[in-house]
Amino acid sequence: MKTRIEADLPFYFGPGRELFGFYHPAPALGGTAVLLCPPLGAEQIRCHRLYRQLAHGLAESGFPVLRFDYYGTGDSAGGSREVDWTRCIADVATAATELRARSGAQRLLAFGTRLGANAALVATEAVLAGVVAWDAIVDGAALIHELDRMQDALKVDLNRFDQARPDLDVRMQWQGFETTERLREQLARVGLPVSGSRIALLESREADAGNRPATWQGRSVESIEVTPHWHDIDRLEMAILSHPLIDAVKRRVQEMA
Amino acid sequence: MHEQAYRFGSARHLVGIMGLPPVIDHGVGVILLNAGMVYRIGPFRLHVDLARRLNALGYPTLRFDQSTIGDSGAGGKLLARPEQVVADVGEAMDLLHQQTGCRRFVLFGLCSGAQNAHSVAHADPRVVGAFFLDGYGHRTLGQRLRHYLPRLMKASVWKQWLTRKRAASGPRPPEPVFVVEPLPGKVVGSQLADMLGRGLKLDFVYSGGVSRYFNHVRQFRECFGRLADHAGVSVSYFQETDHTYVLSGDRQRLLDHVAQWMTRHFPATRPG
Repeated sequence: MKTRIEADLPFYFGPGRELFGFYHPAPALGGTAVLLCPPLGAEQIRCHRLYRQLAHGLAESGFPVLRFDYYGTGDSAGGSREVDWTRCIADVATAATELRARSGAQRLLAFGTRLGANAALVATEAVLAGVVAWDAIVDGAALIHELDRMQDALKVDLNRFDQARPDLDVRMQWQGFETTERLREQLARVGLPVSGSRIALLESREADAGNRPATWQGRSVESIEVTPHWHDIDRLEMAILSHPLIDAVKRRVQEMA
Repeated sequence: MHEQAYRFGSARHLVGIMGLPPVIDHGVGVILLNAGMVYRIGPFRLHVDLARRLNALGYPTLRFDQSTIGDSGAGGKLLARPEQVVADVGEAMDLLHQQTGCRRFVLFGLCSGAQNAHSVAHADPRVVGAFFLDGYGHRTLGQRLRHYLPRLMKASVWKQWLTRKRAASGPRPPEPVFVVEPLPGKVVGSQLADMLGRGLKLDFVYSGGVSRYFNHVRQFRECFGRLADHAGVSVSYFQETDHTYVLSGDRQRLLDHVAQWMTRHFPATRPG
């Protein structure tokens, strides 16, 4: 494991070397490599450890893996106000090209979480042979409504602030990150694509959530017992870790490979 | 902006991003330590924004993950955590020196990062300054009076206290991720005095998010006495701010504060 970690390589890539990536080499025995597409905002930071663990697990199973940050996120160039959904999708394609060049793999699969899943799904037909999507966004307008609601709740959160903050202090931000009208308009149109054959949908299931439909528009949905609390402002800084999720993703990737 | 990714350290177990100004000053570099378990980009990307702001002012920076945090692995040596922190930050300073020529370093740490910055600043002579955000401090009589007296005057507090036993208790918020284990105040004060005696410049910034143990700028004097008068000490209290600077305006205010403090105490001779 120690040798495995030492071989993992952080680097910058893409036009202008603006994108940060972390490459986890493996023999690519089946000719398949895996691209990990992160979510956005606070969710990206919360999922960082899980993505690292997943990358190690997939590499140990023989899949070269690339983790990366979209422009304006993580260690990539650009500020948070420069995050642009069209650019995120273009960055998936850039990262796929980089992974293909580094690994020599013939086929690329992707794993994405929340909006990261949607970005990968949009790119599927062009550059990816299949996507494992965890809690993909079904309704972009509903997502915006929820993020706005959380920001309103944050404003008066006396567990966090000594006193409630005025509207001016919290506007045009979503849980720690500035946003723009352009991004709001772009995300309002996000949804799950109707077509696309090589998609595996994973959905979080809280222990007390009961049974939910096992399909979505004819596709099977696998429920994973994990409680990411995406909408809980008390957990904005808490990492999301789940071995059941990692196991499920590895299994789905191996099925698709 | 020019940033480079590195894997470094004696066991190549550490991962960090070096930010380089257009012109390297060969003077002072800034090392940004992990805030709690948050990886090197910092809470809400605070460390990225701060590093780039400092790069624009001419200071090289290194934001990195300490052993077993973020993307960094274990060092392979059996060291206690405090010794491991000193070793990790020491190797971060080695790297920044090799790549930029810097021989003097300022540390930036929030919460447990402040605790770690304190340990390294006390142990390593290459450190010439440090930012301690929500770092050491302890409750004082003044802190208790400021905390409780206003509450005693509020009818709503009495009502809540009287009805607490009847009301069903709601779910407790999760335990905070960021907790600084207190060192004895005398030990902290003695170590701070050592640092100041060596000429270090120290900036203490407290937020309203830690009002449970620090709630006024003059509490620093209540905690550490005459150290508050030392020319190398600056103390600020950002009451309205939360512990992790979740609002962009609060982060901007912190960045302005850090930039001003750096240019005052460590002016770059050839700013980028």
